Amino acid sequence: MKRGLLALVVAALVILPPFGQPYVLHVAIVVLVNVVYAQALYVIMRMGYLSFGHAGYIALGGYASALLATKLAVSPWVGFLAGGALAAVFAWALGAVTLKLRGIYFSLSVFAFAEVVNAVFRAFEFFGGPAGIAAVPRPALFGARLNTHLQFYYVVLVVALVSLVFLYRLQWTRFGFTLLALRTRETEALAESLGINAARHKTFAFVVSCFFCGLMGAVHVHYLRFVSPFVFTFFLSTDLMVYVMVGGLGSYWGPILGTVLLTGLGEQLFAAGYYKSLVYAVVLLIVILALPGGLISLSRLIGRGGLRGRAAPVDAIAAGER
Amino acid sequence: MLEIRGITKQFGGLLALKDVHFTVAQGELVALVGPNGAGKSTLFNVIAGALPPTRGHVIFNGRDVTGRSSHDLARLGVARTFQQTTLFGEQTALENVLHGLQRHARPRLVAGLLATPAYRQEQRDLERRALGGLEFLGIASYRDAIAADLPLGIQKLLTVAIALATEPVLLLLDEPAAGLSQDEATRMMNLVASDIRRRCTVVIVEHNMRIVAGWCDRAVVLQFGQTIYDGAPQGLTRDQRVVDAYLGVAEL
Repeated sequence: MKRGLLALVVAALVILPPFGQPYVLHVAIVVLVNVVYAQALYVIMRMGYLSFGHAGYIALGGYASALLATKLAVSPWVGFLAGGALAAVFAWALGAVTLKLRGIYFSLSVFAFAEVVNAVFRAFEFFGGPAGIAAVPRPALFGARLNTHLQFYYVVLVVALVSLVFLYRLQWTRFGFTLLALRTRETEALAESLGINAARHKTFAFVVSCFFCGLMGAVHVHYLRFVSPFVFTFFLSTDLMVYVMVGGLGSYWGPILGTVLLTGLGEQLFAAGYYKSLVYAVVLLIVILALPGGLISLSRLIGRGGLRGRAAPVDAIAAGER
Repeated sequence: MLEIRGITKQFGGLLALKDVHFTVAQGELVALVGPNGAGKSTLFNVIAGALPPTRGHVIFNGRDVTGRSSHDLARLGVARTFQQTTLFGEQTALENVLHGLQRHARPRLVAGLLATPAYRQEQRDLERRALGGLEFLGIASYRDAIAADLPLGIQKLLTVAIALATEPVLLLLDEPAAGLSQDEATRMMNLVASDIRRRCTVVIVEHNMRIVAGWCDRAVVLQFGQTIYDGAPQGLTRDQRVVDAYLGVAEL
């Protein structure tokens, strides 16, 4: 039944878009991009780490690809991978140091990194300064540039589906299973005593998380055809965390559900500007208070067992902060 | 097989362990005894690699393992439980034991991502072994229960099952019977003294003299970070320093 539903959704994502208005396609692209961001963030949230700075890694990927395309005329296809790789390299270097920290200390270190990245992009003319980089080209396929919303939608869809399948499979590997053992300092010590190299596992998880952020960040920038220090900000980092928490931390499908609902909602509220954050805050509060397992836990209450996985209370994250 | 050579551990100005010496022979069941704060758990942490000593050496199976990381020592065959009954609380009993088995399975990430038949078979074998581990301690009926929801007696057994899953040659149990009822404690110690010690050498931290005298081969007593007694448990109550440490000395 779950497989059938999934096949139906994927089929709809492939078949329906040609009938959609450009605005609907725009919303669909934004939702897909955010789903990958949220799912990538979930990799580390699942092991008890809150990141207030994933936007920094998204920006690294986006800027890398934009600079390669505009300055060196490198194909955006290569740029996408280069963006992911650059974010991964930074994640590896920083993760090795910062993942020793727990709770708010880790969160702040990632936040600081993202702010430094942002400041560097703003400060140097090479990176476009405050005005950013314009005229970022769309990728071409068989000699034709993918300039319409519909064409680019399929690019996003392919990248998103590949990323999501990878991240889904990762959770069900022994590696993904071991990450669950590292949620708090106490369980990490226990895991270490069982021969698990916690630092290596955590660093790799962080690298994977940031790779997909960088990759999708690059795709995102080529969609916007523009990037500036004001595109990937602190607000994006917090929005992503809200998506994951509202959807639910206990299951792979939680972050996806949360993102689809809230980004859809977010786009509708776009005209409302900063009220978007207010609405998110209220939704988050309601979910944390009334439904600690996130919206996904409703499916278990109602259907009992359509989706795999167990609801982990948001408290598990709080426990990691001790 | 285990030799503690002059271990000293200093936390800032606090001397937690001071020149501790003792040895454990293959197949022994040794109790580490001492009042609260005597340094027993600190010594466990030093042996298991969770804390580096300030001075001294830990020799394990003829190899100097001083300062090796916890996961290295686990791979060499040292397993331990924690005083606070640490478990993977959100996961089932079976999944808890599976974490202990990870060191026997190579990561094989690509095979895992592709879910190859060989990988799935390996996964099923691990699950069967995990269930075997639960059966060994008589708690297989709790396989699908969430660890945090289990009663303390079962949780204690589960921590031992997790540690045993690594197939240790040396097992360090930090107060395995603490908080248990008399019956549960007896059951636990019977397991430790028979089935478990047949598989590996065991060192336990224990306060309870009944348990030390009833089940252990030898007792090592620590006070203020120093060894004050090393010998048969029966001699404990006759040793003046041990009696003073436990009952206190009349001060003038």
